[in-house]
Amino acid sequence: MSVLRKRIHRYFLFMLFIYSSTIVCAQAPTTREYQIKAAFIFNFTQFTEFPAGSFSSPQAPFVIGVLGKNPFGSYLEQTVAGETVNGHPLVIQYYSNTDDIKGCHILFINLTDANKIEDAIDKLEGQNILTVGDAPYFLNNGGMIRFYTKNNKMQLQINLEAAKAANVVISSKLLRLAEIFTPAK
Amino acid sequence: MLLFLCLIMLSNKVFAQTEDSTLSSQTLKKLSLEELMNVEVTSLSMRPEKLTEVASAIQVITGEDIHRSGVTRLPEAMRLASNLQIAQANSHDFAITARGFNGLPAAGGILANKLQVTIDGRSVYTPLLGGVYWDVQNVMLPDLDRVEVVSGPGGTLWGANAVNGVINVVSKTAKETQGLYVSGASGSFLQDQLSMRYGFRLDSNIFMRVYAQRFDQRNTILSNGNSAQDAWNMTQGGFRMDYYMSKANTLTVQGDVYAGNENDSAKLNVTNGQNILARFTHDFSPKSNLTIKAYYDRTYRTTPNQLPQPFNYELNTFDLDIQHHFVIGKRQNILWGVGYRFQKDNASQSFTPLSRDMPLYSTFIQDEISLVPDRLKLTIGSKFLNNVFTGFEYQPSARMTFTPNKRHTVWTAVSRAVRIPSRFDSDITITPIKFTSEKVIAYELGYRVRPVDQLTLSFSTFYNRYYDLRSLDSFPSVTTPIVVANSQMAESYGFEFSGNFQATDWWRVRGGYTFFSKRIWSTSSGVFPLSVEFEGVDPKNIVSLQSIMDLSNNLQFDLTGRYVDVLPQTIASPLVPSYYTFDARIAWVFKAFEISLVGQNLLQNQHTEVGTSQIPRTVYGKVVCQF
Repeated sequence: MSVLRKRIHRYFLFMLFIYSSTIVCAQAPTTREYQIKAAFIFNFTQFTEFPAGSFSSPQAPFVIGVLGKNPFGSYLEQTVAGETVNGHPLVIQYYSNTDDIKGCHILFINLTDANKIEDAIDKLEGQNILTVGDAPYFLNNGGMIRFYTKNNKMQLQINLEAAKAANVVISSKLLRLAEIFTPAK
Repeated sequence: MLLFLCLIMLSNKVFAQTEDSTLSSQTLKKLSLEELMNVEVTSLSMRPEKLTEVASAIQVITGEDIHRSGVTRLPEAMRLASNLQIAQANSHDFAITARGFNGLPAAGGILANKLQVTIDGRSVYTPLLGGVYWDVQNVMLPDLDRVEVVSGPGGTLWGANAVNGVINVVSKTAKETQGLYVSGASGSFLQDQLSMRYGFRLDSNIFMRVYAQRFDQRNTILSNGNSAQDAWNMTQGGFRMDYYMSKANTLTVQGDVYAGNENDSAKLNVTNGQNILARFTHDFSPKSNLTIKAYYDRTYRTTPNQLPQPFNYELNTFDLDIQHHFVIGKRQNILWGVGYRFQKDNASQSFTPLSRDMPLYSTFIQDEISLVPDRLKLTIGSKFLNNVFTGFEYQPSARMTFTPNKRHTVWTAVSRAVRIPSRFDSDITITPIKFTSEKVIAYELGYRVRPVDQLTLSFSTFYNRYYDLRSLDSFPSVTTPIVVANSQMAESYGFEFSGNFQATDWWRVRGGYTFFSKRIWSTSSGVFPLSVEFEGVDPKNIVSLQSIMDLSNNLQFDLTGRYVDVLPQTIASPLVPSYYTFDARIAWVFKAFEISLVGQNLLQNQHTEVGTSQIPRTVYGKVVCQF
């Protein structure tokens, strides 16, 4: 019995030791967050309408782009594999430079610096692109849909005016579930 | 029968559990937008965004932590917060406190009077003895979002009796609990537990759920091996409706009904109660919102074994609360509110008067001032209240938070809180000596750190000084030789350490260690020595650890271990030895089904936590299906 007790005691000490050690090597927990965001972005393809001119042909791809460092790993590819939207096959493209962006429909902007976000969005003016991001001031900087977490659940914030300006129509179903952002005048 | 029901449901429609932490991208994309919004973002149970901003020793237990621990009832789930001191007295009663003062062990946990507890904003603290009757606080655990456990005074926001801490039990919205959930469990100590919930949509923006549950719990064991004859059962049902009236307005209405029978050494206690709560929130702007909450609660119990004649007690509570939050400029966040509570009770004997009207008026204001944006924050505020026993009371606090960067937070606080007299303190002995409020001045210092994304650690330390602490004094009268007075003082100090570590994407460990020490002394000569024990016999050291493991997509293996230090012998109670024990859960998850086997208190045949009853080792099996 006392041997067992000693063992248990050691086990507890060991667990405590794990706690106090700060040297940790493990997979980043953000992956799951971006897995969920990828699923949301896939959903956006069905709840947004783009002007007819934004597709060169009925078979032209529906392009989901990522600007900046790719935080999704392969989740976007896994999510859209084999999927189409109104006959348009879904493709993923990665951009390191805003000037490279052509024929993109949904763009995830993975930038955190407010000035850089604003610059990127300014350069996209005139194109019909739904801009998505998760930076705190993403909507203030002209972005359209922002992800944020509340109570450990993913929430959406939508800047309707920015979407209207780009001629992108967001369905009422999506709007109903999101918080509508009103830009400070 | 249950299995048959599940099979029928399975053939109709199946979608994966949204709580599952190992969802694939293929599963995720099939979820509707609403379902996606219910998926937990991190399997980390703490919410770093929020927690790093709070200047208090808060620990959060998520619904997922509770699910994976295998506990079957709310008070058991509280063990997952290592800043609480918990002792199960018998089959139905628990003593739960933070920072000590868990009451006389022999009293079976009903004297822990310094912890405020709310369930979805409804206070369940009873003014009879002061404290919480945990046997009747049963919530449907799968519908629980989280439990926020704050050790340290919460009087500024939460009102009277939050002297040593506050527990807020928060349930999920009806929107988050759509569909059917059915579960059945049976085992050696938990005889049976049946739960059923159905969540549905009344209209495009009105969500509703209804639930019912029933459990029977078996006897604990006396030291001579005989049954303690304290088996009991509880049947409960309720509903919640969330109406998203517009972008700015939300209305929630919820209610519960319960009734139970408890054996108490072969005599039968009866408990029952009903409550209904409505909460309306209106957003004027993102920077300003209003919450109006009202509830009615009735609770009734008989306690036949306490006295020669049965003691019956009924309490009716009506409460109205209004809170307004707004921002001034860029630096000030103001929260203020007013509240009115009316309680009326009815005791069958022993109290003078037998029935009392207990109106309580309160108001509070709190200002959160950003001294250096994103770095240094000062929160000051006070609650003011007027109660029927002692009149005017105030509960100020000042808290400072320093956040040098996102990974580190240092906070410190000074607060004053009061415990207003219970009916026991005020109305059990009638003498010219009037019982006044107990007061505490608490000094706290804390540090929260996230050295890497996978790890959060929290340290807090405190020094509390109590004034006008309750005492039992001798009184020169033949009819009333004893009087409840305020002739004690106390000091306590200790620290709490907790952490959450996501070791890999399939393994998470959480837990903590709490050290506590207190000293009580009398301020007059007529104090009975029993007075010290009467306020609490508390363990010095507590360790709690939980390991949550996904062995594969379908297989879960979870462990919960704890160590509780010795409760020293007193003139009124025997020594309770320290104990280690652990619970284990293994579960197989397949589509809408979950089959689990849980063992609790596995290390010994039985062990004593407080008093004389011994809690047996137990094993139960459980089947869950949800659609």
